[in-house]
Amino acid sequence: MVAFLDIGGAEKRFGAAAVLQGVDLSVAKGEFVSLLGPSGCGKTTLLRIVAGLLAPDRGTVVLDGADILRLPPHKRDVGVVFQNYALFPHLSVAENVAFGLRAHGRPAAETDATVAKFLDLVRMGEFARRPVQMLSGGQQQRVAVARALAVGPKLMLFDEPFSALDRKLRETMQIELRRLLRDLGTTAIFVTHDQDEALVMSDRIAIMNRGAIEQLAAPAEIYESPATAFALDFVGLSTRFEGKVVACAGGTAEIETAAGRLLGKGNYIPGARVTVGVRPERVRVGGALEPGENGVELPLRDAVYLGSKLLLHFDLPEPDRAVAEIGAAGFVLPAAGTRATLRWHFDDTLVFPEAPAP
Amino acid sequence: MTARRLDPALLLVAPAVLYLAVVYAVPLGLLLVKSVRMPDGFSLSSFVAFFADPFSWRVLGNTLRIALWTTLVCLLVGYPVAFALARAKGLPQTALLVALILPLSVGVVVKAFAWQILLRRDGLVSGTLVSLGIVDEPMRLLFTETGLVIGAVNVFLPFMVMPLYSVIRQIDPRLMEAAATLGAGPFHAFRRVLLPLTLPGAVAGIAFVFSLSIAMYVIPSLLIGDRFQTLATLTGRSFLFMRNERLGSTTAAVLLAVAIAVVMGSGWLARRMGAAR
Repeated sequence: MVAFLDIGGAEKRFGAAAVLQGVDLSVAKGEFVSLLGPSGCGKTTLLRIVAGLLAPDRGTVVLDGADILRLPPHKRDVGVVFQNYALFPHLSVAENVAFGLRAHGRPAAETDATVAKFLDLVRMGEFARRPVQMLSGGQQQRVAVARALAVGPKLMLFDEPFSALDRKLRETMQIELRRLLRDLGTTAIFVTHDQDEALVMSDRIAIMNRGAIEQLAAPAEIYESPATAFALDFVGLSTRFEGKVVACAGGTAEIETAAGRLLGKGNYIPGARVTVGVRPERVRVGGALEPGENGVELPLRDAVYLGSKLLLHFDLPEPDRAVAEIGAAGFVLPAAGTRATLRWHFDDTLVFPEAPAP
Repeated sequence: MTARRLDPALLLVAPAVLYLAVVYAVPLGLLLVKSVRMPDGFSLSSFVAFFADPFSWRVLGNTLRIALWTTLVCLLVGYPVAFALARAKGLPQTALLVALILPLSVGVVVKAFAWQILLRRDGLVSGTLVSLGIVDEPMRLLFTETGLVIGAVNVFLPFMVMPLYSVIRQIDPRLMEAAATLGAGPFHAFRRVLLPLTLPGAVAGIAFVFSLSIAMYVIPSLLIGDRFQTLATLTGRSFLFMRNERLGSTTAAVLLAVAIAVVMGSGWLARRMGAAR
C-alpha cells in the first residue's frame, strides 16, 4: 500500500496525561478509515494534529508526499467536519459553502457553480439562501459536509459528525456520506465512538485505546479476529472469561476459568493470566459436546428477542459474561435459571494476554 | 373594564419606567423647555445665537474630537483585551475581570487627580517616555488634549470591553478553526468571521464610550482646565458660574442631539455593514 497520509510516532501530552503515545497510521488514497474508541482515547487529538489545529509533541505527518507538520491549518488542504458543525452563523447556507472558495480566491462564477454543485450533492440546493440557524441538525450537517468538500481538500476529517443526530437520521447520513465520498474518491478519516457507525462506513477501522491504536484492520477482521481483549469488548458482543493458563503445549493452551477448563490457541507460560473470548453467533446452545469444542454449563439469566434472532445472556460473576445468539425460529426458550450447555469450536476461541495495567 | 389583560412584561419594567420618568425624563423635559422659552413666548433664538457664535463651533469641535479619539483608542485597546478576557480561563480570567471592574469603584474625581500627578512634566508618563527614548526631554501632558484622552480612556475602557467581551464569549472558537481548515488565513478569517460576529459588541461599546465621553464633565475639568471647553463643561459653567440658564439649556440640548445622533447612526451603520457583508 502506498500511503497517502502517513502519521508516524505521534505523541501528545496535556500536562501529566499522555493523550497519544506514539501513534502510527497510514491511509491509502481514497480510503475511509475510522478511529474508533471510547471518549478520552485520543482519537480527536489525533484528528486535530492532522488538521493542524494542534501541534504534537513528537511525530510526523506526511500528506501526499509532503511533510505538512509545520504548515498552518489553512495551508494543509485538509477539510474538517466538526462535531457541532461550526457553521458561520452570520452567513447563509450558500455563503457558508462559498466561504472556503472565496478564501482561496476562486473567481465568482466558478464559486457560484461549485456551491450549487455541492449543495445539490448533499441535497440542500433549495435551502441555499436560508440562514443556517434556521436549519435542522441533519441539514446543518449536510451544509458542513458540502462546505468542507467544496474546496476540494486532499483529505477529509470527520469528528463524530453524526453524534447529535437521532438514530434513524444517523443511519441515513452514514450511507449517504459514504456514497458521496466514494463517488468523489475522497480520502477520509472518521472519528467515532459508535462501533456500528464504524462497521458500516469504514474500509478499515483503527481501534484506539489509551492513546494508542490497538488494531487497524478491515471491519470483518476487527470483528472476527480482534487483536486485543479491548477490541473484543469494544466492537460487538462477546462472551468472555478471565482465566489462568494451567498448561500449554503445541500452540494450545489449557485455561482455567470460573466456568471450567477451556482450550485456546497461543503459546503462554503456565500461570499467565489471559482473557478467553468468543463471538455470540459462534456459540451453540444445548446438545452434546462434540470433539474440538469448548463447552461450559451456565444458568440462563434472560433472553432478548430481536425478531430474526434471540440473544441469550447467562449468569456469570463480573467481569465474566456469556452471551449466545441463536435463530429465533423454532427455538423453545428454557425458563430463566435453567442450566444450559454453551459450546463452540476450538478455532472460534479467542485468547488474549491480560492487558497491561493502565 | 374589558377582558384584555395587561402584558406581564409591562409590570416588570414599570418601576424602572416610573423612576426614570420622575428623576430623568421630567427634569430633562424642563431643561429642554428652558432652551426655547423666551419671556415673550417660545422661540429658537437661543439656538440661532448659539450657532452664530464661532466659539460655539469650537466647543462643539472640541467635544466631538475628544469623544472620537477616546472612543477610537478605547476600541483599539479594548478589542484585544476583550479577546484575552473571553479566551482566558480560571484564575487569569478572574484576575482580568477584577482588573477591569474594580477600577470602576474608584471615583472619577480620584482617578482624574491621579492622572494629574501622572501627566505632569515630572510625572511618571513623561519620565517613562524619556527613559524609553521616545521623547527627548520631559513633556507636560497635563492640560493637553492628549492627556485628556489618556485619562478618559482609562475611565471609559471597561464600557468598551464589557459589551465586546459578552459578544466574543458567545462565539464558538471552532468557527475560527473551521475557517482555517477551509483555507482562510488569519486575516481573512478575522475579517470575514470574527469581525462581523463581534460587530454588535463593538457598536454597543462605541455607543457607550462615545456618549459617555461627549458628556464627561469632571475629567476635562481636572485634566485640561477652563481654557478648553466642551459642551458638557460649558453647560456646567453656564449653570454653576455664569447663571446663564438659557445658554446652559441650549448647550445641553445640542449635546443631547449629538449623542442621540451618534448612537442611532452607529446602530444604522452596523446594520448596513451587516447587510453588505
